[in-house]
Amino acid sequence: MSHGLNKYFGKAWMLAVYMFLYLPIVTLVIYSFNDSKLVTVWSHASLRWYSALAADADLISAVWLSLKIAFVSALMSVFFGTFVAFALNRYKRFVGRTFLSSMANMPLVMPEVIVGLALLLMLVSVQHWLGFPERGLFTILLGHALLGTAYAAVVVTSRLKEMDGRLDEAAMDLGSKPWQVFTLVTFPLLVPALVSAFLLTFTLSFDDVVLSAFLSGPGYNTMPMVIFSRARLGLNPTINAVATVTITVVTIAVIASSFYTSHVERKRKREMALAYSDAIR
Amino acid sequence: MATASKPQTGMKSAEKEELLRIEGISKIYDGTVKAVDDVSLTVYKGEIFGLLGGSGCGKSTLLRMLAGFEAPTKGKIYLAEQDITNLPAYQRPINMMFQSYALFPHLSVWENIAFGLKRDGMPKDQIAERVEKMLGLVQLTKFAPRKPHQLSGGQQQRVALARSLAKRPQLLLLDEPLGALDKKLRETTQLELVNIIEQVGVTCVLVTHDQEEAMTMASRIAVMSEGYFLQVGDPDTVYEMPNSRKVADFIGNVNMFEGVIEEDEPDHVTVRSLECIHYVGHGISGHAGMQVGVALRPEKVMLSKRKPKGDYNWAEGEVIEIVYFGAHTTYHLKLASGMVLKAQEINSTRDLSCGLTWGDKAYAHWSNEAMVVLTQ
Amino acid sequence: MAQSKNTFLNFFSGRKLIIGVPYVWFISLAAIPLLIVLKISLSTMETASVSNMVDWSKGWPSLTLNFSSYQFIASDALYVKTYLSSIKYALITTIICLAIGYPFAYFMARAPKHIQPTLLMLIMLPFWTSFLLRIYAWKTLLVNNGIINNALISLGVMSEPIAMMNTPFSLTIGMVYSYLPFMILPLYANLSKLDIRYLEAAADLGTSPLKTFWLVTVPLSKAGIIAGSMLVFIPSIGEYVIPELLGGSNTLMIGRVLWDEFFSNNDWPMASAVAIVMILLILVPMALLNKYQSDQASDKAGA
Repeated sequence: MSHGLNKYFGKAWMLAVYMFLYLPIVTLVIYSFNDSKLVTVWSHASLRWYSALAADADLISAVWLSLKIAFVSALMSVFFGTFVAFALNRYKRFVGRTFLSSMANMPLVMPEVIVGLALLLMLVSVQHWLGFPERGLFTILLGHALLGTAYAAVVVTSRLKEMDGRLDEAAMDLGSKPWQVFTLVTFPLLVPALVSAFLLTFTLSFDDVVLSAFLSGPGYNTMPMVIFSRARLGLNPTINAVATVTITVVTIAVIASSFYTSHVERKRKREMALAYSDAIR
Repeated sequence: MATASKPQTGMKSAEKEELLRIEGISKIYDGTVKAVDDVSLTVYKGEIFGLLGGSGCGKSTLLRMLAGFEAPTKGKIYLAEQDITNLPAYQRPINMMFQSYALFPHLSVWENIAFGLKRDGMPKDQIAERVEKMLGLVQLTKFAPRKPHQLSGGQQQRVALARSLAKRPQLLLLDEPLGALDKKLRETTQLELVNIIEQVGVTCVLVTHDQEEAMTMASRIAVMSEGYFLQVGDPDTVYEMPNSRKVADFIGNVNMFEGVIEEDEPDHVTVRSLECIHYVGHGISGHAGMQVGVALRPEKVMLSKRKPKGDYNWAEGEVIEIVYFGAHTTYHLKLASGMVLKAQEINSTRDLSCGLTWGDKAYAHWSNEAMVVLTQ
Repeated sequence: MAQSKNTFLNFFSGRKLIIGVPYVWFISLAAIPLLIVLKISLSTMETASVSNMVDWSKGWPSLTLNFSSYQFIASDALYVKTYLSSIKYALITTIICLAIGYPFAYFMARAPKHIQPTLLMLIMLPFWTSFLLRIYAWKTLLVNNGIINNALISLGVMSEPIAMMNTPFSLTIGMVYSYLPFMILPLYANLSKLDIRYLEAAADLGTSPLKTFWLVTVPLSKAGIIAGSMLVFIPSIGEYVIPELLGGSNTLMIGRVLWDEFFSNNDWPMASAVAIVMILLILVPMALLNKYQSDQASDKAGA
């Protein structure tokens, strides 16, 4: 009796939370097809704001800039994040290990305004001493890569932890030099984690507004910066159209990748079951 | 404890050719924890040497030092008279079959076996030839394109063996080779493994915590505890002639009497314990008045309802427990001293009871040569 | 022999490289910038140009320390109020996230095994879509002539719109909405690993389900509760975008103060001092989080 009640209560609770999470997203998408200039008042369906988006040169160039920054900074994040994960995983004892691990955790918990301020002050002083870097693409990349490194390190670390250390030893035992152990065994097994780290840091960069605002220079407006400055001023139906496009792309990508992983997992389980029944026969 | 036939055991010492020599090797962690404590050992060509001990006894550390994954704190390792102490793992002509196999999950069976050969820069056609040969040896030819997770546990074990043998190592290290298999599969796999190793003729060092595995597979074993060797010898010697209470206790079941030597003659010894007087039919390295342990294996104890003749080697007690194992039955006899004596009787007929049941009074007796006197 | 020594050397330099690269990366992009913030917070507006970060005029490097920014923060009631208000909103956000997230994670962990990945993906999906756009969406829902008010009026529930936007209410909704997944994920990770046999043992020993929940489930998920709470609380304190878009001018949040000092007033020392005080505020919960994470790690290592 109480168990059944518990069950219904649980389902209702979960449904309510999902509605809370998806209500804003769904209304955003619906109202992107609204013809009215007022974002919140429905008149009739139209693609008016999509054509407005197609003609919005500022926004479109911002999207391209964001994509470029996200791609490069995600690559940098994965590169440095992998180093961090290896350093902290493989070497349990070295001078300043605690320092390194807390520095690597710092961007995860530090408010972005502080990270942005600190990086900007540093870059300004470097520019003062050396004459570069000019604030712009490169400085935004550095900021996003710093943030992304911390996240990528978390993803790669969790994969390294569950990896069997004996595989490395087996490779070495069979004659692989340390760099061959990495290229032939560790790296191939790490690829799925590197891909998810890339996707995560790509998204973080594509989404970031605070760091970009601190680190950007004139002429370098990322998509979130443009959206943010417009949203500050008020509601704007073009933003709904942009939102719908990004949400569609991300949703398709996430669902496709989760289908793919569950397909691989199922196939693997089937093959394992087959192997055992083979052996019994 | 059955000891399978091992062709190497018959070898005379003159024919023995030394392959591996370990000289006073130690591994100390954090400056204090002695994982391996001043161990010396010689392994001869063609033998299967078993390292036997409980978990944390140092056997795995010793094996890892042989493979080159750990650097010894002290001591030297020689392989065929060459000092390999400082040689990194990837340059040693030693290969290892890992516990739970460590097969590369992203490579096929074929690629797993070829892995080591490719690292040596062997020409492609030779690699193919060698891999085919190895696949044939472990009877997995038709499984070559499969990935490890598509194989059963027994098949994975054979791939691991093929991979470690492919480079024709001078020394093969086996780390709990049967540990990941279930009990039934273990017996057949054990024989297969020994057959293949003998076919190839490779020298092996085997690490295991399973005494049965060590005794059936190894031609010589070392019993290890707390980082050093308690005893090294043929399996039957270690079983029948343990050199200490620890070894007697670790290998198989044992009844241990504590007593004092009364007579110490070249051809016999008598030991008085609380339970009885032991007459041992051979001389030992001790002296009268010495405190010793007398070890007696349960299968060497006979039971009867009638009082045995003579003054030696028998004790009276009450049957307090009867444990039926199928092939044999173990009786627990409570003696007047409080000691519980175990006696193992073979069930040679289907009429099980030798007429004894719970609460019965019975006499246990054994021969002059049944026990071992232990001075330490 | 010479060759073996050489490879050992190579291996050693590999170690140096693997540790050295992240070291240089984080020292130059995290440690040094924070030190610069500290230094600038201790200077006055006139001297706070980067050209004279270190004074060489006496022939050796020397720093002139000036605590005026900190004195100003301590003496001005508005700063103190803003810090307290930030902590208040962060706390409220954390408590609401826990209240919503814990039952959710609990039910999710008890849901049939085969649908759990889908449930998890549905929690992650908003997280992958732009945070900024989702906050913007709340704006379209909450404004006076927004979707919620319009719907309520057209349904006849009321005749006048309720002012929800630019209030503590809209700020809290935006914060809870954004940080809820950070609460749910560690709680779910923790609760899904909870061995069902503990609950069965408790039931077997005659404990009622509700008591079992309080006496067994909650204490065993303590690590998840702490991790989730800290992951919500810490970033909430310094949040800038949500108060800027949803909070209006009356909700005081320290992240906005920092932003305004820097971008509107161009007062770098003041912005830096605000940042340093914020870091000090965050250090306590951060240490707590670190402790619990390392505890969990060592628990796993010990098992």
